[in-house]
Amino acid sequence: MGLITAVGDSAAANRHALINKQSGIGKATYVQSRFVDILPLAEVKHATEELAAQLNISQPGITRTDLLALYALQQAIADAALSEDLLQEKSTALVNACTVGGMCLTDIMYEDANRKDGKGSAYIHAYSNSANTTLLQQYYAIGGVINTFNTACSSSANAIMYGARLIQHGFAERAIVGGVDSLSKFTINGFNALMILSDAPCRPFDAHRKGLNLGEAAAFLVLEKEEAAKHKKAYAEIKGYGNSNDAFHPSSTSDTGDGPYLSMQRALITAGLKPADIDFINAHGTATENNDETESVAMIRLFEKPPAFASTKSFTGHTLGAAGAVEAVYSVLSLYHQEVYPSLNFEEPIPTTRLVPNREYQKQPLRHVMSNSFGFGGNCTSLIFSKL
Amino acid sequence: MYIHQYTCISPQQKDENVNLEHIVPSQDGKYLAQEPVLQGVPPGMVRRMSKSVRIGIGAGLPLIKDNKPNGIIIGTANGGMEDCIKFLNQIIDFEEGLLTPGSFVQGTPNAIAGQLSLITKNQNYNATHVHNGLSFENALLDAFMLIKDNPQTSYLLGGVDEISSYNYNIETLGGWYDTRLTNENLYMAQLPATIAGEGATMFMVSGVPHNAVARVSAIEFFHATDATYVQQRVADFLKQHDVALNETIFISGENGDVRALPFYEHCEAILDTSIPIIRFKHIVGEYPTAIAYGLWLACHMLQTQQPLPTHFYKRKGTDIPIKNFLLYNQYHGKQHSLMLVTG
Repeated sequence: MGLITAVGDSAAANRHALINKQSGIGKATYVQSRFVDILPLAEVKHATEELAAQLNISQPGITRTDLLALYALQQAIADAALSEDLLQEKSTALVNACTVGGMCLTDIMYEDANRKDGKGSAYIHAYSNSANTTLLQQYYAIGGVINTFNTACSSSANAIMYGARLIQHGFAERAIVGGVDSLSKFTINGFNALMILSDAPCRPFDAHRKGLNLGEAAAFLVLEKEEAAKHKKAYAEIKGYGNSNDAFHPSSTSDTGDGPYLSMQRALITAGLKPADIDFINAHGTATENNDETESVAMIRLFEKPPAFASTKSFTGHTLGAAGAVEAVYSVLSLYHQEVYPSLNFEEPIPTTRLVPNREYQKQPLRHVMSNSFGFGGNCTSLIFSKL
Repeated sequence: MYIHQYTCISPQQKDENVNLEHIVPSQDGKYLAQEPVLQGVPPGMVRRMSKSVRIGIGAGLPLIKDNKPNGIIIGTANGGMEDCIKFLNQIIDFEEGLLTPGSFVQGTPNAIAGQLSLITKNQNYNATHVHNGLSFENALLDAFMLIKDNPQTSYLLGGVDEISSYNYNIETLGGWYDTRLTNENLYMAQLPATIAGEGATMFMVSGVPHNAVARVSAIEFFHATDATYVQQRVADFLKQHDVALNETIFISGENGDVRALPFYEHCEAILDTSIPIIRFKHIVGEYPTAIAYGLWLACHMLQTQQPLPTHFYKRKGTDIPIKNFLLYNQYHGKQHSLMLVTG
């Protein structure tokens, strides 16, 4: 596993922050937007140039998104001890997810998109959602199936699901799966126009929540077949996955939480588990009015009495296309260390649903952890990770 | 995986009526898709849709109106790019002022699959693959695996991309298009560029052979920049799947760009010299999911059992049965895909 978020540059650093309730949400330093003074953001604590220098990347046209992705991917590859030769084999897949891509360079892209003649900037090939995937592929000459998902905020959960299925069906022996998104003027203005950004650190599942905080991150996990993993360090098993569409509205979830309910239910079915088998849920929990209430409704519909749950977006902000992968890493860390992480800033439950998230770090025996990711366009995905 | 229905909206057609003898010409180095008539969609909703959503729904909705699939799987490199950049322009032009979110929401690539599920109230599997020139291939592999799990299930599978004025601009600056190119001179001009195209192609697929039009028996795709490496992968693929080299029609993604030609020629070199070679980008242009149109052509030939009009053939070849097809496509000299289709 490899990850970089606003709370740390590695899995160990992230775990340390989660245990010690150190949130990464605050005033942003690097992203250019007039909103940085009024809207807290969860920014990775390195300048783009600093990331490039750390990675020893000097070629032109490389975006912050590219660098975050490469940073996390390098870690994941080192952690799983994948050799250069293995990466180049036809049986090694790379499944990425991204929603912002090179649009993190909102101003430069504006100029390139509207330029009528002459030469484009050095970033001309870097804008698409898939540009960073192509860079990662080229960096390691990865030989197998290469893909990029964009199902909005459930993108990297779908990337993980697709990678697991590639292995199951023999289209890959190993799959590097995950996602990336960096903060951008584009998304800050988009979510602000939807009026779902909070001017204070977000309060998942609280009655007085005011919206989400945007964040940035990259996270990758290396999936291998059970037989291959037997002789190596392994953290957890992907036990189940479920995908659905809420089919209600382009940017909000139905009151009955159909999409979330169905994705969680389908994940249980593929895992061959009952609702009571789930010990903990890493909720989507964006802290928007709409999400937290409908996710609660869906959890109550499925579990009656939902298991302990938390939203780690109170640490990392909402990292959009990377969120599913970041929270998959957290779920896996929970299982590996047999512990649960807190949800921050909660005081009072939502009156209609009365659910209270887990608020303290604690050791706890865990067998199965569910992770939820829901997005615009009605896209909902739930994953289940299990203890080895 | 079996294809039961196939539709497309392209520069040549806006519904099932098409005359492939008579080519609608390209204009100013572009091939714009015809505007579909969207029946059963509220006009207010249509007004808010980007072109990729309009053509995606125009091609997809007829297949799922009365027939609820077990999932909707779309490949699109850019989705509603026009809306996306419209929003970006507003951000900069109004210096991050008060904006309406319509273009932001409509501009996300998953709006096509999302709107299709919304209009038909389909709460099943829903995915959007955006891996540029391999977006459709990944969507197809996704459906392929779901059908392997449960052959009785069916899926709407599509490839959709629009030419927005902005991505056209960015790609032109990137050196991919040239306005001197037309549908007539595309393969002769020898320029390092091609014609920009757009379209939406949809398939209803399942694991049930009964009444199927075509079967997609294998797919493989990868990234590479070396033509010799690509040739080796093609040779391995053909060998692995035991392809009858003298009885397979080759549908080539050749797009006129001289830089891409070596890939197609290396591929042709390992095929039998007697087989027909079909090209299609002179009637739809180049776009990241254009290979979906190549698959549409294979289905069209399998259903009609007629050869295509002469302008499609790079080589007429011998008169072999219309049964087996190999499709090869590359995008921007980096992404490559292979598909086997049989009747």
